[in-house]
Amino acid sequence: MNVAITPAMVGQVVISGILAGALYSMVALGLALIFGVMRVINIAHGPLLMLGAYTTFFLHSLFGLNPYLSVPVTMAVLFVVGVVLQRTLVFRVVDAPELSSLLLTFGISIGLVNLAQLAFTSDLRAVEYLTGSFPLGPFAVSKPRLVAFVFAAGVTGLAFLFLRGTRLGKAIRATSQSREVAMVCGVDVQRVHMLTFGFASALAAAGGALIAVIVAIQPEMGQIWTFKSFLVIVLGGAGNYPGALLGGMLLGLVEQGAALFLTTQLSEVVAYVLLVVVLLVRPTGLLGGRQT
Amino acid sequence: MPAPVLEVEGLHKHFGGVAAVDGVSLSLAAGRIYGLIGPNGSGKTTLFNCVTGLERRNAGRVLLNGERIDGLPPWRIALKGIGRTFQIIRVFPELTALENLLVVTRGHLEEARARALELLRFVRLEALQDEYAGNLSYGQQKLVEFARMLMRDPTLVLLDEPAAGVNRTLLNDLLEAVRQLRERGKTVLLVEHDMKVVMGLCETVFVLDHGEKIAEGPPGAIQADERVIEAYFGR
Repeated sequence: MNVAITPAMVGQVVISGILAGALYSMVALGLALIFGVMRVINIAHGPLLMLGAYTTFFLHSLFGLNPYLSVPVTMAVLFVVGVVLQRTLVFRVVDAPELSSLLLTFGISIGLVNLAQLAFTSDLRAVEYLTGSFPLGPFAVSKPRLVAFVFAAGVTGLAFLFLRGTRLGKAIRATSQSREVAMVCGVDVQRVHMLTFGFASALAAAGGALIAVIVAIQPEMGQIWTFKSFLVIVLGGAGNYPGALLGGMLLGLVEQGAALFLTTQLSEVVAYVLLVVVLLVRPTGLLGGRQT
Repeated sequence: MPAPVLEVEGLHKHFGGVAAVDGVSLSLAAGRIYGLIGPNGSGKTTLFNCVTGLERRNAGRVLLNGERIDGLPPWRIALKGIGRTFQIIRVFPELTALENLLVVTRGHLEEARARALELLRFVRLEALQDEYAGNLSYGQQKLVEFARMLMRDPTLVLLDEPAAGVNRTLLNDLLEAVRQLRERGKTVLLVEHDMKVVMGLCETVFVLDHGEKIAEGPPGAIQADERVIEAYFGR
């Protein structure tokens, strides 16, 4: 341990942290949307990401589709899965006490993981497409992570343009700021809930598609993403959409920093310590929670 | 007498064992301004909530232009032509003033923008259209809410305490706007504690007490009504 830490190492941490952070931001934005609009914490968010990874894997292995071209297809598939889940199950707990929605989405999470084990087995899968890194001055930049970053930044940017610029986006933001008023203004909030769940699932799926090229694909790969996304939205302020971007970047940097300054094994612990500190010092998150 | 715009028949709403609205019937004719008064907790806001669909009534019927609307979801009721404001202003704080109005749109976006801008000019907020509503003053937020309510050109307008917390100038603007609504054939029902506003504006006043309608009539007669005085001041 205790190797001298050079500026180059810090630079490497920053680069890796930002590359990872953009993925966290994108995936967590989905969780933030669901929480903001429905007040539901979707424990099944990570398993939806897992389904996205499998979709990309099968599109690649069965049809030879380029995994990066599969991103929009995978997002579309999981959008439909999300809409169906909301329409059949999640809508029942939107007005219920928080424990009900936690239990239901926890159940959906277990169900999805077990269905994946049945259908795809627990064998590790991989999409061999892009590996290695290229040198950038003194730094090494992982190629698949850089591409993932570009895609994540693009998808997140489009998501924000959608929220700002379209009528449905405004309806989603209005519903998350005050559901009652949105209803009185003529916003069909049931439809907004359904579509929001679809979009959120698509964002998780994009994350799954992009990491399919980087990590091993298996049915239990998703749960950790639920917890990381949860951490991100608590860091940024629950229901605060720009906060999810900040939280994601922060988590990426902290994890990479901890891996450098402490050990890789401790990096996840550090992320949770950060969560506890934010909850103690600023429980509404860095950018503040949703206003009421 | 023309057909009523809004009919409320025997409306009941209870929370647990407490009857918030207990068998209230009202009938509102087109192009008139009605007042709804009563002591705190007499059921005025609950009545608004039942009419707009935010609360499910336990019994009774609500008809808009002869068509039953009780039991419909709130957005369907809004689309049928009921606009409302809230007692405590409810703008979308993290949407701009303009976006607050654009939430209320269907159909062509450019037309909606044009209408939203026209309404913001009407309430003299066009210079602040891109400001987040949460950053506006109380009075400005009230105007945003008022303009938002008008976006869909509702036939019936429910105003919950439009005069509360508003300075004289703004109040006169709001009252003028309400009179203009009547001139354009709209029906207005307003909850108000400021008796000067009620007396100056309303042609008919309904009085609620403990969820029941205890009086109905022109403002002058209401002020002299024994039961109304008793409800407000006790025996």
